[in-house]
Amino acid sequence: MSPRPGFVLDVDSSTPPTLFWRGERFSLEKLPEGSRVIYAPEPLEPLKDPVAAIRHALTHPVGDQKPLPDLLFPGMKLTIAFDDISLPLPPMERPDIRQMVIEQVLDMAATAGVDDVELIVALALHRRMTEPELRHAIGDRVYDAFAPNGLLTQHDAEDPDALTHLGLTDQGEDVEINKRAAESDLLVYVNINLVAMDGGHKSVATGLASYKSLLHHHNPATMVASKSFMDQHRSELHSANWRMGRLIKESGVNIFQIETTLNNDTFPEAFSFLQKREWEWKARDRVNYLASAAALNRTPPRVARGIFHNIKAPHRMTSVQAGEVEAVHKITTENVWAQQGVEVEGQTDILTMGLPYISPYNVNSILNPILVACLGLGYFFNLYRGKPLVREGGVLIMTHPTTPDFNPVHHPSYIDFFEQVLTETTDPVVMSEQFEEAFATDPWYRHLYRTGHAYHGVHPFYMWYWCAHALNHLGAVIIVGGDAKTVHRLGFRSATTLTDALEMARDVVGPSPSLTHIHTPPILMADVK
Amino acid sequence: MSPTKGTANSLRSRRAVREESALGFGDGPGPLERFSPRRLTTWVGRQRFPLAAPTWPGTVVRPAPKHTLGVDYDTAWSRRYPVRLARAVVLDNITRPLARVVASPEIRGEDALVGLEAPVIFAANHASHLDTPLLLSCLPNRFRHRTIVAAAADYFFDRRWKAIAWSFFLAAIPIERAKVNRRSAAVAAELLEDEWNLVIFPEGGRSPDGWAQPFRGGAAYLAVRTGRPVVPVHLANTRHILPKGRTALRPTHTTVTFGQPLWPGEGEDSRKFSLRIEAAVAVLANEETTDWWTARKAAADGTTPSLQGPDVATWRRSWALEPHPGDRVETTGPNEDGLKPDSRRPTWPKRPS
Amino acid sequence: MKSLVLERNVARFAASRVASLIGSGRGAGVGPLRLLDATAPEPLGSDWFPVKVLLSGICGSDLATVDGRTSRYFEDMVSFPFVPGHEVVGVLESDGVDAHGQPLVAGTRVVIEPVLGCAPRAIEPRCPHCAEEHQGLCGNIAFGRLAPGLQTGFCTDTGGGWSEAGLMAHRSQLHAVPEGFSDRDAVMVEPTACAVHAALSADIHEGDTVAVLGAGTLGLATVAALNTLVRPETGHSLIVGAKHPAQRQQAARFGADMVVPPDQLARAVRRQSGSLVLGGRLTEGAHVVFDCVGTSESIAESLALLRPRGRVVLVGMPGRVSVDLAPLWHKELSITGAYAYGQETTIRSGAPRSARTFELAMEVVATHHLGELVTASYPLERYEEALAHAGAAGRRGATKIVFDLAKSGRNPSIRPDGKGTP
Ligand SMILES: [Zn+2]
Repeated sequence: MSPRPGFVLDVDSSTPPTLFWRGERFSLEKLPEGSRVIYAPEPLEPLKDPVAAIRHALTHPVGDQKPLPDLLFPGMKLTIAFDDISLPLPPMERPDIRQMVIEQVLDMAATAGVDDVELIVALALHRRMTEPELRHAIGDRVYDAFAPNGLLTQHDAEDPDALTHLGLTDQGEDVEINKRAAESDLLVYVNINLVAMDGGHKSVATGLASYKSLLHHHNPATMVASKSFMDQHRSELHSANWRMGRLIKESGVNIFQIETTLNNDTFPEAFSFLQKREWEWKARDRVNYLASAAALNRTPPRVARGIFHNIKAPHRMTSVQAGEVEAVHKITTENVWAQQGVEVEGQTDILTMGLPYISPYNVNSILNPILVACLGLGYFFNLYRGKPLVREGGVLIMTHPTTPDFNPVHHPSYIDFFEQVLTETTDPVVMSEQFEEAFATDPWYRHLYRTGHAYHGVHPFYMWYWCAHALNHLGAVIIVGGDAKTVHRLGFRSATTLTDALEMARDVVGPSPSLTHIHTPPILMADVK
Repeated sequence: MSPTKGTANSLRSRRAVREESALGFGDGPGPLERFSPRRLTTWVGRQRFPLAAPTWPGTVVRPAPKHTLGVDYDTAWSRRYPVRLARAVVLDNITRPLARVVASPEIRGEDALVGLEAPVIFAANHASHLDTPLLLSCLPNRFRHRTIVAAAADYFFDRRWKAIAWSFFLAAIPIERAKVNRRSAAVAAELLEDEWNLVIFPEGGRSPDGWAQPFRGGAAYLAVRTGRPVVPVHLANTRHILPKGRTALRPTHTTVTFGQPLWPGEGEDSRKFSLRIEAAVAVLANEETTDWWTARKAAADGTTPSLQGPDVATWRRSWALEPHPGDRVETTGPNEDGLKPDSRRPTWPKRPS
Repeated sequence: MKSLVLERNVARFAASRVASLIGSGRGAGVGPLRLLDATAPEPLGSDWFPVKVLLSGICGSDLATVDGRTSRYFEDMVSFPFVPGHEVVGVLESDGVDAHGQPLVAGTRVVIEPVLGCAPRAIEPRCPHCAEEHQGLCGNIAFGRLAPGLQTGFCTDTGGGWSEAGLMAHRSQLHAVPEGFSDRDAVMVEPTACAVHAALSADIHEGDTVAVLGAGTLGLATVAALNTLVRPETGHSLIVGAKHPAQRQQAARFGADMVVPPDQLARAVRRQSGSLVLGGRLTEGAHVVFDCVGTSESIAESLALLRPRGRVVLVGMPGRVSVDLAPLWHKELSITGAYAYGQETTIRSGAPRSARTFELAMEVVATHHLGELVTASYPLERYEEALAHAGAAGRRGATKIVFDLAKSGRNPSIRPDGKGTP
């Protein structure tokens, strides 16, 4: 049977309760009659022979770019940059797409007699990846061939010796990117395009950029003007990246862009009920739900976290395209939409969402309160095209335990941001003026970012800016089941149950509100008419 | 997706839940009642999703159920080694002794099977649900544990538990009674080629009145397709053990007669071959009520009584089969109408019903 | 008339030690402190004037004394039996003269500067410290015409604040309460003076990062003193580690730039100073840390927060502690004490100015309305409750607990906002 498209359910009295994620737990909640629940399309059929598809894409590029073998010649300087740990979510079962693509690229490079090859993790201001993470992403063969010789590096946005300033855009934005990438004869960028915001000029212009360069579009003003940042044509974030990308191209950096899309087969068999429609749950799904819900409720959060972060998604590649950045990205975006798009009729007064244990910034880590806000208000809220799912002045209700737990190795500046910034202000503009620079230039954060596995000191600010559009748009944000003190510090309201939250929401949006629940993950994009 | 109001199914199940919950625990059950089966079923009925199966939202069009049952049920699992082993244990230790007690089968013509190479197709008349276990119990060892049974997909494979039970106990495979289904025939043929023997009841179902129904082409088709022989089998008296419409067992003496294997002739089509099979079973039936020689002669004369009984009024067909009150004497041979009473009438009175 | 008297009784001291393990101030019931019929102290001479006590505070050092936790260092600096209470506001019972030689009429409200240095002890010539008006440093506190006693409230001759019968104050100890001061404001002058002395002795420079560890009476008063007397000149940034929510609110009100729970103090200081972290310590960090707790842990943490050549100022009375001094040696840190008061030199608008610590303390009290820190007052009879409350002040949302001698025999007064319910 071919996969079914996305679906908007109208809740009636015989609709079974709806699954809500609550971090490392989940619950079934009865939604009021007349509510809507948006379900993602079912996983698309994967490519039958991904390796052949990759080879075909490399030899049949789209747009104004030559086939990869024609771009390779002996004595050239070749750099392969690839996406970091933030993609895909959850991390996919081996072999990772990056491994499959990079192996083919290297194969062609070897055939062409290219000696000077370097691999760069395009992590922008994210944390450096650990060896096991790198081995998972690019495979042992590639890792063992490059890492011991120092030819596998992680981009360092704070290393003045490893950055090149390429100039200013027509809007005066600094374009400063990784030196090795900029000075190569060919820069191959390997993308995993999990959501519509990934890829395009953003790959190089953000992934390999310096803090100075990122500053121009990672700020509250840009984020408020990105409606949404998942919709390239209405996203100021993307406009800035496109300006920069074009300047990078004009500066003579030859980019061979490879973009890949995944189907949304997100959870392995034991957790597959998480991506099914509740009324279609088989006895086995119900048993899995009951068993895992009961077990998780008795499991300490740390252990539960371990269980979930061990999940490897059975994602499969649905498309691969290569060539010139913009032409490639156009096809990619269509493919992402094919998997994630759901047509939704009209906005809602109240939007509910269950927040899972993972976001792009806490793979193998903790979804701390700032990331909770970012996942809900930054990511899920922005999963729309056209209009936001929730009307202006509407209420967003999220379920998550929101405990003040942080991973001190990955998120050191988040702790200080939580303790010292959010206690003062939750306004993105105010904090960017008063605190951002001190965090961005803090030598300790810089040290941890450059040598440890910490996100850059400024990263929590970016997470908060991600929320800026939602914060501007919404009348109230309510977290159900969260630690009240923490929720208040985020500037949100705290409710014990969904029913309480709906009561509170009525105070904001009126007595008989419309309600929509977004049933993610798997990720979906609402096309709101 | 156009919204439709709640389906009849979901409405019914909701009402059921309400009624059952009206039985409530509040009535104060005694300690012994607390764990009664009735209370258990009540408790189960009161459970909500996810303990109970989800109800279907009325706003969602319910798709036609997926055909994983009936003809499409995949029985491959039931032929895996551990399952075969378990079935063999059950067949030899439970089914066979039980069949002996209930049906006291007298086996005739077993010598027809001597030297016959597997796989073969056993084609038998069909009057009772017990025909299958009885026939399986009576097969020689070398056939018994590598034999599958063609069972009506619409009856034995319509529910999951039935499908599982029959494929386990009898190694049943689903076939369509009415016509030769391409898929089920292909499966059966494949299994024959894979050295599995096949029990098939060509009538396509149990007899409604004791007389046989016309043989359908399935057995013949498979034989022609695979080139394997058909062993005609006649089962006598089984309808008295578990006739259609009854649930209680009535132990009876039965006879299982094997005939000489029939090979499809060169260029013979399955329709002609099917008639040959039916005739062979009719001869066995005749032999069972008379003797071998009489039956052979009748066969030669073309006067073997039809398995399907005479073409007379329904009541006379039944009358001819039923024992007459006080008549406990065996009659031999058909009477003038070609009707013959059952040769072995029950030797104990019928239970009052 | 009653007074609380502390007697030398080894068994009772031991018992109070044990009781204090349950909680600070719990030694009162079994310890050497007893409620006796009061006898007014004997007249001591022409420069001594009788003072009727209105309010007398319970200080951390008082709790330590009652619980028998005081360092043995002080053993020879007190004389038994004595009436505790050195944070005193009272009424002059006869005409008198204040520390500046100004005449005071009977009935004037006064606060007592309790140090018993060369002047009250009639020691001539005065020691070099008293000669420079740094009475807190006087070494003659066990000599001269008075029994040993480093302060009023530790000396058997002078009496102390926890008595309905009043005490004798030397003219050098007397300061008239300024206009507009409530009794509560006035009783806060003595502890605030300690904080002022600490704040001014810390040698804070322009743009320094300063941390205050602990936000009891002394911690909060230090914050207020820094804000009033030092900050206008130095513009230093001030980070306070305060355990209890009420303390955090007050610290913020008194002008702290950042107030955090104590377990977050290190992170806050690190970020403020842009320091790296090495071996669990900051490589740079704060210039000055005021340790207003005085335990091994707080001193160790203070050392960890300091940049090289930084300074820890011990504001509260510490006892015997065990601290790793390797960082002190390696980073050339200093630990300094800040005891009592005397004459201070402050910089005002770039020009140095000399003033009595008590006068500056009054300024701080007036600026920040520190009288509000007095959370509950008890009559003398309910001293056990009062001391227990004081011992658990922070946890119970209280700061300063006082005895109200004028109200003895009546119910404790509770602040109208209901805080500090005993
Ligand atoms: Zn002196």
